[in-house]
Amino acid sequence: MRRSVLDQRWAAYAVAALSVFALTLLLKIVGTHVNAATVSLALLLNVLFIATRWGSLPALFTSILAMLCFNFFFLPPFGTFTIAATDNWVALLAFLVTAVTAGQLSASARRRAEEAETGRREIERLYAELRDAFERASHAEALRQSEKLKSALLDAVTHDLRTPLTSIKASITTLLDEARGEPPVPLDSDSRVEMMEVIDEEGDRLSRFINGLIELARIEAGELHLRRRWGAVDEIISTALTRAEPITRNHHVELQVEKELPGVRVDERAVSEVVYTLIDNAAKYSAKGSTIRITARRSGEELIEMGIEDEGPGIPSELRERVFDKFFRATRDGDVTTHKPTGTGMGLAIAKGIVEAHEGRIWIESGNGGKGTRVLFTLPIGDEDVELVLND
Amino acid sequence: MTDRPKILVVDDEPQLTRVLRTGLKSRGYDVRAAADGLAGFEAFNDWHPDLVITDLAMPNVDGLELCKRLRAVSQVPIIVLSAKGEEKTKVEALDLGADDFITKPFGIDELLARVRASLRRANAPPMNEATQSTLDSGDFHVDLESRAITVREKPIHLTPKEFDLLVYFIKHAGKVLTHRTLLAALWGGNYVEQNEYLRVFVGNLRKKIEPDAATPRYILTEPWIGYRFDPDPVS
Repeated sequence: MRRSVLDQRWAAYAVAALSVFALTLLLKIVGTHVNAATVSLALLLNVLFIATRWGSLPALFTSILAMLCFNFFFLPPFGTFTIAATDNWVALLAFLVTAVTAGQLSASARRRAEEAETGRREIERLYAELRDAFERASHAEALRQSEKLKSALLDAVTHDLRTPLTSIKASITTLLDEARGEPPVPLDSDSRVEMMEVIDEEGDRLSRFINGLIELARIEAGELHLRRRWGAVDEIISTALTRAEPITRNHHVELQVEKELPGVRVDERAVSEVVYTLIDNAAKYSAKGSTIRITARRSGEELIEMGIEDEGPGIPSELRERVFDKFFRATRDGDVTTHKPTGTGMGLAIAKGIVEAHEGRIWIESGNGGKGTRVLFTLPIGDEDVELVLND
Repeated sequence: MTDRPKILVVDDEPQLTRVLRTGLKSRGYDVRAAADGLAGFEAFNDWHPDLVITDLAMPNVDGLELCKRLRAVSQVPIIVLSAKGEEKTKVEALDLGADDFITKPFGIDELLARVRASLRRANAPPMNEATQSTLDSGDFHVDLESRAITVREKPIHLTPKEFDLLVYFIKHAGKVLTHRTLLAALWGGNYVEQNEYLRVFVGNLRKKIEPDAATPRYILTEPWIGYRFDPDPVS
């Protein structure tokens, strides 16, 4: 930064000299109306000004110059440096001492103010540096966490892609070996069919997984476009149950739908998908022959509450939030130690996305008597006026 | 009773166990499957298989724990099934006693080759180091007393450490040896992190025994894991 001319050392002395001479000239012009005390106060003020602006040495210089001018122009005999009266000697000496002391005090106060200002700036600078460092550190930590999460997600995704691929590749290569006949592989027709069934089922599994990934990506990008229409809750459940029939064949399904439930304004396909996912989970994680209970009831004036309950091992309370995280599986990643088939870790995440897109809520409780799992979700009934307006 | 080699497959993926059971049975093996490490260990105690193939990530007792438990009671060959990206777990499994690993997804022929190699190693007569003065393995002949080695019938000169390393490889031919295992065996437990020692000695050994050190046939690198010695590669 460039320093101004006034910050130069010589400028301080020049201004000091000029100010003293200018003030003396002014006082001389109005000389008939001012006495020695007024002159000395005016000159002292000038010393204070110089001291405040330029520090102690220019202030000392101003004090001496002011004392000489005071003596030469305002103390008799005028126009000489001699002093006739003794009291004027005292006045001159008092002026000099006062000017020097005031100048030094003022300069010292200015120095301290400058030091305080420098200190304040230093603290501000350090604070800014510290804040930047914290921001950089938290950014780096966020990046690290994000990389860690990405890596965990990638691991989960690759595991779910690689596992069915392994079954497919092992089946195909066995069938290929048999077809080529070198070395001869005695594969009976049952084994051949089994290999082909595995390829078929694992192909479907890959397809489901990829569809799930696409659905999740849509939900996360806020691109889940709901087609809301008025529909009946029992029809939504019935659609899901029909679809789930092959997987619930070995369970007792019990339906408890409250009478005279109002219709709901939802995307029926999406909500039916939620119900299907929850029935699928209930069937997967509970023993054959056990009961899956599906409930629907009114909750207050504005909500419908639906629930799917199984008689499986249940989900520990500390995992009941985490099971809605994508790729989290309680039976593989959590503390549930019983061996059960594991899903893709996407079903509940998608279900949560769909329910929340309807401004609803989904959560998990223990089943009847503290056993099993009960997944509940609410859906707003919907505003009839909106529909009427739309219909009009 | 049957004379067919018995293989226990331990995996929590029912589809994969179905395929492996059928694929291995069609090649003349007697196969049983278990859905996790705990069931696998129980099946091992009941059935005494000749080989165990196990996945690593499983509920209850996982593949690592199963390797540990099996090694405590048996020298049965263990092949670990793992996914790419699980190198750390793979090394851990090999250090815990697994003999080999195969990365998913794999073809049945690769698995069968590994099964044959593991069974061959397990059935080979044990080397009695106290009385044995020579080692013959594929292209290699070693006279342990005079510390002389011939490769493809040509004598080669090795430093004492190179000699020890090659003898260790020959004695564990076909088996995946982790960096840690080799360093502990050759340099001692304090040097298990010094992978650079191994790189230097393996590099020197390759220059002396391989027909082309840039494309090794005998000492094969298992990336991130260690080395595998093949004394008789198919040329």
